[in-house]
Amino acid sequence: MKNFYKRGMLIIMFLLAMALLVMLAMGQAKAATPYSPTLFYQQPITGAITNTNGKSLPGVTVLIKNKQYGTNTDLSGNYSINANSQDTLVVTSIGYKDQEIGINGRSIINVILKEDIASLNEVEINAGYYTTTQRERTGNISRVTAEEIENQPVVSPIQALQGRMAGVEIISGGANPGMASTIRIRGTNSLRKDGNYPLYIIDGVPISSEPVASNSLLSTSGIDPLNNLNPANIESIEVLKDADATAIYGSRGSNGVVLITTKSGFQYGTGLEARVYTGVSKVPGRMDLLNTEEYLQVRREAFQNDEVEPDVNNAYDLVLWNQERYTDWQEYLFGGNSEVTNVNLSFSGGNESTSFRLGGTYFTQGTVYPGDYDYRKGTGNMALNHLSKDNKFQLNLKLNYGTDRNNLVGNGNLDPSIILLPPNAPSIFNEETALNWEEWGEAGLTNPFEGFYNTTNTQTKNLTSNVLLSYEIFPGLKLKSSLGYTDYQSDELWRLPARSYNPSNNPVNNSFHLTTGRRSWIIEPQLTYNKGFNKFQTEFLLGGTLQRNKSTLSSFQGSGYASEALIGNLSSAESILNAKSSETKYKYAAIFSRIGLNWDKKYFLNFTARRDGSSRFGPNNRFANFGAVGAAWIISEEEFLKSNLSFLSFAKLRGSYGSTGNDQIGDYGYLDSYQATRGINGLYPTSLANPDYSWEVNRKLEAALQLGFLNDRINLGLSWYRNRSSNQLVGYSLPYITGFTSVQANLPATVENQGLEIELATLNLDKKNFSWRSNLNITIPKNELISYPDLEQSSYSNTYRVGYPLNIGLLYKYEGLDPETGLYTVKDINNDGKLDFEDRVIIKDLNRQFFGGISNNLNYRNFNLQFLFQFVKQEGIQTNFQAGINKNVLSSVLDNDRYQRYSASFLGGTAYRNVLESSFPYQDASFLRLKTLSLSYDLSSKMLDRMNLRKVQLFLHGQNLWTITPYTGLDPELATSDLSVGNLRSITAGLQFNL
Amino acid sequence: MKPLNYKKQLLIILLSIFTLSCEEMVELDPPSNQLIREEVFNNEATVKSAMTGIYNELFQLDFSNGYRSSVTTLAGLSADNISNISTTNLSRMEFEQNEVNPDNPDNLNIWSSAYNMIYITNSFLEGINNSQVLDQDFKKQMDGQARFVRAFTYFYLVNLYGDVPLILSTDYRENQLAFRTPKNEIYDQILLDLQQAEEELSSDYVTGERTQVNRFTVKALMARFYLYTENWSKAEELSGHLIAENGTYKLQDDLNEVFLANSKEAIWQISPIGGNGISTQTNEGNFFIIDPIFSFFAAIRLQEDFVEQFDTEDLRLLNWIGYNESKNAHFIYKYKIWNSTEYPIREYSMVLRLAEQYLIRSEARAMQNNIAGAISDLDIIRQRAGLNLLADLNPTIEQAELLNEIFLQRRKELFAEWGHRWLDLKRSDRTSEALEDENPYWEDTDLLYPIPETERIKNPNLTQNEGY
Repeated sequence: MKNFYKRGMLIIMFLLAMALLVMLAMGQAKAATPYSPTLFYQQPITGAITNTNGKSLPGVTVLIKNKQYGTNTDLSGNYSINANSQDTLVVTSIGYKDQEIGINGRSIINVILKEDIASLNEVEINAGYYTTTQRERTGNISRVTAEEIENQPVVSPIQALQGRMAGVEIISGGANPGMASTIRIRGTNSLRKDGNYPLYIIDGVPISSEPVASNSLLSTSGIDPLNNLNPANIESIEVLKDADATAIYGSRGSNGVVLITTKSGFQYGTGLEARVYTGVSKVPGRMDLLNTEEYLQVRREAFQNDEVEPDVNNAYDLVLWNQERYTDWQEYLFGGNSEVTNVNLSFSGGNESTSFRLGGTYFTQGTVYPGDYDYRKGTGNMALNHLSKDNKFQLNLKLNYGTDRNNLVGNGNLDPSIILLPPNAPSIFNEETALNWEEWGEAGLTNPFEGFYNTTNTQTKNLTSNVLLSYEIFPGLKLKSSLGYTDYQSDELWRLPARSYNPSNNPVNNSFHLTTGRRSWIIEPQLTYNKGFNKFQTEFLLGGTLQRNKSTLSSFQGSGYASEALIGNLSSAESILNAKSSETKYKYAAIFSRIGLNWDKKYFLNFTARRDGSSRFGPNNRFANFGAVGAAWIISEEEFLKSNLSFLSFAKLRGSYGSTGNDQIGDYGYLDSYQATRGINGLYPTSLANPDYSWEVNRKLEAALQLGFLNDRINLGLSWYRNRSSNQLVGYSLPYITGFTSVQANLPATVENQGLEIELATLNLDKKNFSWRSNLNITIPKNELISYPDLEQSSYSNTYRVGYPLNIGLLYKYEGLDPETGLYTVKDINNDGKLDFEDRVIIKDLNRQFFGGISNNLNYRNFNLQFLFQFVKQEGIQTNFQAGINKNVLSSVLDNDRYQRYSASFLGGTAYRNVLESSFPYQDASFLRLKTLSLSYDLSSKMLDRMNLRKVQLFLHGQNLWTITPYTGLDPELATSDLSVGNLRSITAGLQFNL
Repeated sequence: MKPLNYKKQLLIILLSIFTLSCEEMVELDPPSNQLIREEVFNNEATVKSAMTGIYNELFQLDFSNGYRSSVTTLAGLSADNISNISTTNLSRMEFEQNEVNPDNPDNLNIWSSAYNMIYITNSFLEGINNSQVLDQDFKKQMDGQARFVRAFTYFYLVNLYGDVPLILSTDYRENQLAFRTPKNEIYDQILLDLQQAEEELSSDYVTGERTQVNRFTVKALMARFYLYTENWSKAEELSGHLIAENGTYKLQDDLNEVFLANSKEAIWQISPIGGNGISTQTNEGNFFIIDPIFSFFAAIRLQEDFVEQFDTEDLRLLNWIGYNESKNAHFIYKYKIWNSTEYPIREYSMVLRLAEQYLIRSEARAMQNNIAGAISDLDIIRQRAGLNLLADLNPTIEQAELLNEIFLQRRKELFAEWGHRWLDLKRSDRTSEALEDENPYWEDTDLLYPIPETERIKNPNLTQNEGY
């Protein structure tokens, strides 16, 4: 209730503030007039430009044919221009078909533009240091725009990309808000888990994509470093995949590059946009577990089968505990509803020389777990663009600031295995609403909610800023400089009050403090030169990068606070303990260049190169070169095709080859060093050192075909890629006899990621008042360890197999149930009387076989419906079938002769553990999921005019509404562990208005 | 031609500036929280800190910390003195049932922590021996201490696992595929380290704390070493050295004072100062004591048939064994402090103490048929326990019977300390006799723990022990 009230107040406050702003802005909006050129002798022509569904189109160019001037429509889609009555207007807008309209003496001309898929190919695509278009690109770049991101109730924009891009695999980090998702672009390249992060670049500034450390419940995945970015302020996200697109990022481009561009101001007047949505989320799935009666029956039978007498020590659930009690632990643990609310406001304006945008958002989301916890974030952003009168000097400034606060239960014990507690287990709390220790203690157990009153408060702040200055020295030659600064800080306070713990341990009030900082600056001066010679166009780019990162981490513990209320206030702590701090620096320098050539917009060649130096490597191995060549041939421009195959409206062949690198290996690994021991005044070595490791190199090859049929109503893209990552730079796994479990080293191994990406975009229907567009993407990846000299002699001999993917299970052969004992048996292949890796002959591929998404976008009058299905073909694991022990299990084990007899015995346990290492627990975990569904309604122009508003939209959005899967675990997306939940089902409703 | 040359020169100069600055652009100083190994060993103060680091880590690392995965607990469970209270901890149950699986996590903890200590001592030894600036005498003191700790660690590895890889350097390239070294070669190395340490170290506790290794600490372990390798005369001789040093070492008359910090009986202790800084109790105290009110956390009990072996007036029964009613269990009560944040620290974790030396000499004398000498040493222990003297009861006892009595006294005196009982049973071939009846799963191959599974995955040259 309290939350609801708070939320209500917030919305009311917001609406009041809005009303005030509306009044202020009205004056502004009216005062702004579109830019108009010098008058000659003409009369004024005015009008409104809309699309076929009646939506106003701002920013449409209106030109007078054969004359040198024109105008743009304002934010309401209106224009005004002076023209001769004999002139012809040319109306153009990207994404729509051009129209020419004779004036014929009229003074009001309204225009309806038709959508043009072919011209979508002209949309500018961000390639990082330069731009290209869908039509002309030589590399593989996927793009998602604001429309697909802004309505999704997600914390990090990365989550909004799921299912939308071919070759991009995103797996949710978990059900708590703020958890980092796993993102893999074209598969796993590095043997090292931490060596597979892509490069994130926000408005030209690289930021670390490695999740931020936390002690809280977020610790399993880490904190997503993009949480503080406002998804509604993102204009587009481009993902660079192949060598042609990524080689210019050199040593950091191996795992792909994610370019995030935030929104800029309008150039045609002033406008205000407000959007509010609110809704609820919950855990969609449940596992089918036993109830008390079934559970106890299974337990009793287990003891009978084992011929063991149940007693207090081995069967407290049968002997000691209430036999009638029933708790649905799933409902208890994650049965709650999480409320989500988002308020977003932006104000934008400008003219042709200067434009700006100011925006802010407030977002809050609860959790599904017991207790009153929530996540909140506020962001502010500013963009400023200026172009001098002579069009020579240009300034672009982007500032994004975000701060969030994540309150979670500070209890690492709150792990999902709680749902497997015996259903007749004692209550968690006693009558005095304190944790119930006695009843659990009688059974020799700790209350599973030990630590329940612990809380974590994680606050992060993030500033990303960039200034791009550009000056045109003479036509074609530009000097640019991009200056970036980022500052990320995370402060976490973990309160551990004594009442969370068993009083028998004499617990004291504790606090843990963790502060992480990441600060970086970057300078990138660049020189670009574009020159055309008739049909031959050239583009040159030469640039340099200088970057410094500083990461700091400090943590300590405060202990012995006199009262719970004082926890965290260090001056009242009895002692400060376990203080740790580290500071790591990373220096990076590079020069890069690009040469882009094209002949007659038909033949394209693109050369990119980079020389990189990174401080992450030992003194002898700091520099390396990377480069790529890409080529494209637009066949449909050739006369022989134009005349013969008229149904084929577009055809392009494209290919690229080149090398990129990977330096994600932590800092200072080459130093042989000592650190302070936890105990007082000691020093000790904490890791092995290798001074000689060097870059990991990823050679990427790509071939692709892009086809457009029936006037580009059907667009098909096929890309085949083969990336070979060699000189594997890994925390090389070592036996403990070396003192530690790993050392950083280059492995003589090559990992290949091969795959096919299919993208199909169709305009299914395009009628007046009704249009329907679909997009389909499918990725069929293949991962393989193609070489590893002397694998058998290495520390990885029992982890990898040459010729198989990296992610495999080496398993025993399941032989069925032993007819005598009724227990699982697995085959002792070499008959040596013991089970070890020599008997693990089954090799199971644990990768996704294919995945993709189908999105649809339907417009009917003022209604818009968008929905996305995500699909994945894969296998997963289900392990909850050990019936007979003191844990709940799937109800499918009841009287099912696939499973061994109920047993609580040691031998039963051994048989279960062995069968877990066979293919027995694997099952199909493919799924088809309605990932997003979004329905919106726009008020008609007539009503808008009456209300003096530019746009009013009502929308309803659903996330993860429906999933079909044969998988019996909780979430097929995280099928490697049956108890993980990664996706909440959410329904939100909202309102947007613009003025 | 000339202008071109100028241009060329300019280009070369520009390029070289760029290359130079490039090198600098990516050069870094070491981070503030790390010291390069070479620098650690260039200065006496930091070398001492590194030595303190070794002692601190002995309190942290599983095998030596006296906690859940320590030799004391796990080897204790393998023998017949203690057992688990609850059967729910499968990993510890495997130790109790002598059915340790190769994937047992506690077994891996012993192995990995012991080899981590081997690395730390190897790194330390390489550091001081490569250092050009350290004073020779100082080097010797440091070298001796580190060698002792290395020998001590190998002593347990070889006794628990049999043949183990002998790692004497920090070079992982060389070590990662090491084969198991025959047991006798490990013993040779242990002796070599101990002999060198004995030569190098001084006889006093420089800091006044018995947590530091000195020449007598080395002799104490050597006495045990010779006992285990059945070199009876050497065992007698070395334990004799300690017993003769009665200015420093004396049995505490009051059994409640044996395990106090720097007790007169202590030859070597590990201080909780190496812990997290909050708690100052020993792990043995924390893990073994069953608190009367909060009994449900208790994990370890004494076996009833072991407790029944004590005479009712045995002071060790009265002082070192507690009883908890709600669990109906006897527990280990050698350490008295269950939970503490007090300074100065009152109890240290005992590793080597004088009582063991009496028992070593008694056994060594008995094996050499010096029955009277053996009895006189054994009676020192019996006397302190408040028992009648064997010299009065049965001065003409047969050798075999006397040895049985010595092993019984070892069992009663040293229970729940560093797996003494398990190692005693093994070295005297009494294991089957002691365990067969109570343990239906007993096999002779259970004498050695398995080489951890993950270790064999990573190093295919490691063979498994028989029976796993």
